[in-house]
Amino acid sequence: MLNIDSVSKTFFPHTVNERRALVEVNLELKEGDFVTVIGSNGAGKSTLLNTVAGRIHQDTGVVSLDGTDVSRLKEHQRAAKVGRVFQDPMAGTAPNLSIEENLSLADRRGRPRGLSRGVTKAKRERFAEALKQLELGLEGRLKTKVGLLSGGQRQALSLLMATYSDPRVLLLDEHTAALDPQRAELVTRLTRSVVEDKGLTTLMVTHNMVQALEVGNRLIMMHEGRIILDVGAEQKAKMTPQDLLAEFGKLKGAVVDDKTLLQ
Amino acid sequence: MITAFELGLIYAIMALGVYLTFRILNFPDLTVDGSFTSGAATAAILITNEVDPFLATAAAFVVGSLAGMITGLLHTKGNINGLLAGILTMIGLYSINLRIMDGANVPLLGQDTVISMMRGFTGVGWTSVAVLAAVALIFKLIMDWYLQTDNGLALRATGDNEQMISSFAVSTDRQKIIGLMLSNGLVGIAGAVVAQHQGFADIGMGIGLILVGLASVIVGQAIFGSRTVIQATLAVILGAVVYRLAIQLALNVGLNPNDMKLMSAVLVVAALLLPQWKGFSKLSLRRRSSSPLAEAAAPLTTSDAHLSKTSSEKGA
Repeated sequence: MLNIDSVSKTFFPHTVNERRALVEVNLELKEGDFVTVIGSNGAGKSTLLNTVAGRIHQDTGVVSLDGTDVSRLKEHQRAAKVGRVFQDPMAGTAPNLSIEENLSLADRRGRPRGLSRGVTKAKRERFAEALKQLELGLEGRLKTKVGLLSGGQRQALSLLMATYSDPRVLLLDEHTAALDPQRAELVTRLTRSVVEDKGLTTLMVTHNMVQALEVGNRLIMMHEGRIILDVGAEQKAKMTPQDLLAEFGKLKGAVVDDKTLLQ
Repeated sequence: MITAFELGLIYAIMALGVYLTFRILNFPDLTVDGSFTSGAATAAILITNEVDPFLATAAAFVVGSLAGMITGLLHTKGNINGLLAGILTMIGLYSINLRIMDGANVPLLGQDTVISMMRGFTGVGWTSVAVLAAVALIFKLIMDWYLQTDNGLALRATGDNEQMISSFAVSTDRQKIIGLMLSNGLVGIAGAVVAQHQGFADIGMGIGLILVGLASVIVGQAIFGSRTVIQATLAVILGAVVYRLAIQLALNVGLNPNDMKLMSAVLVVAALLLPQWKGFSKLSLRRRSSSPLAEAAAPLTTSDAHLSKTSSEKGA
């Protein structure tokens, strides 16, 4: 349902800083696929996600969603079908709006935003119900400004918002990387359960090899703008982080950063 | 004194417009200087041509919002810096305003205006102040209502976190244009009513007006708070009245009217600088000790939001 067809993207072309972020990348996600993406810094993982989201437009190639070419659509147009959670916990929510107002914005994804009341009593009950799943007690703080929440709470809320109106594709860009281990664990758990419950087609970039192996039903490894490893569910279940490190080791010039090694 | 209250309440409508761009959209919009006069000119010329003054005032809203639309298009579709886009529209409007009025001013002597019609019932006194206060409150309530609708929420999120709201399928360009149109529409109405209040429209009446708007918003919110939209809009109206009273006071103690623009500028600078001063923030912390958490967290989150914006842009 998500098709990435020989997509290439070069930053700063024809200069000394030229960087080929994506080179003829092909990737097809089936309905309900949960793909984890790993790779060294600068491998093109984020560019891949941004190309799907429409934040970055590819130089060549086609991105299509449900059989429709969306390459020319802008970010906000694609967002009708694409949900995102960013690495920065502050990025996915509006700090000066209350929790219920944020959820109301998420609720209207892909539908016209007119002059009906944003937060109604009926909606408020639905929001509280959904917030209970987070087990953070936020259902009792609907009118609290999101800016007053902690990073972990905000990221959990971002995840809930991104998935609230059942997007066709969910993009997660190292969304647990900026959290402390405990909160990261919580958000990972929430991610697994929401993706499973709703059967969302998901593309998740991560630095954490354990996480990459534990969640999802498919794993791809990127290096210098190419997908160099594509592992299905069965093989993935047998793999260990050591196996992945060994794969990295095979690459000439791949720099595994300290963060990855420490995990 | 009565006049100061009356003017304050009329200018409050403009201040609500400035609040919409400056606070909600986080966009300092200089179009205001031009669109205020455009509203005044449109209404004045229509009234002298025997158009119903209420209709003429409504027309001022339309003309004002068109001015806002131009700034919005320049900024969003033309990728022109917001301040510059506002300045460009403002300068351009100067000529257009001269064209609308076919001269530098239009007198409204002897014409039926919304103000003269009001005076027929109220005269000049506290009743007329009450009527104008009610009008300002109606605009406030409409704005409160709008900012709670789906579209209003999208507008607020556009000013709060652009990256976030575009990831929820909102065109931030469109929201900015809507915000600028509404804002300048209100400014146009205020211009129209001021012209009818003073009995003429004049090409120079909008000069420096953005400062009056900013002063009303900043001073009002500093004194009366801005925790919720409902509180913030009320603070803006009161701020506009306080500002006008302060000016009146300054004139009464014998200050030269020519110095008023300098006074406005100094007032805005003071309102912007004072909160940065350590002693002041301690003072306000104690004053609003009801929720120390909110006070402590607010500056953190806003600075974080800035950081996140820049870092995500680099990341892309």
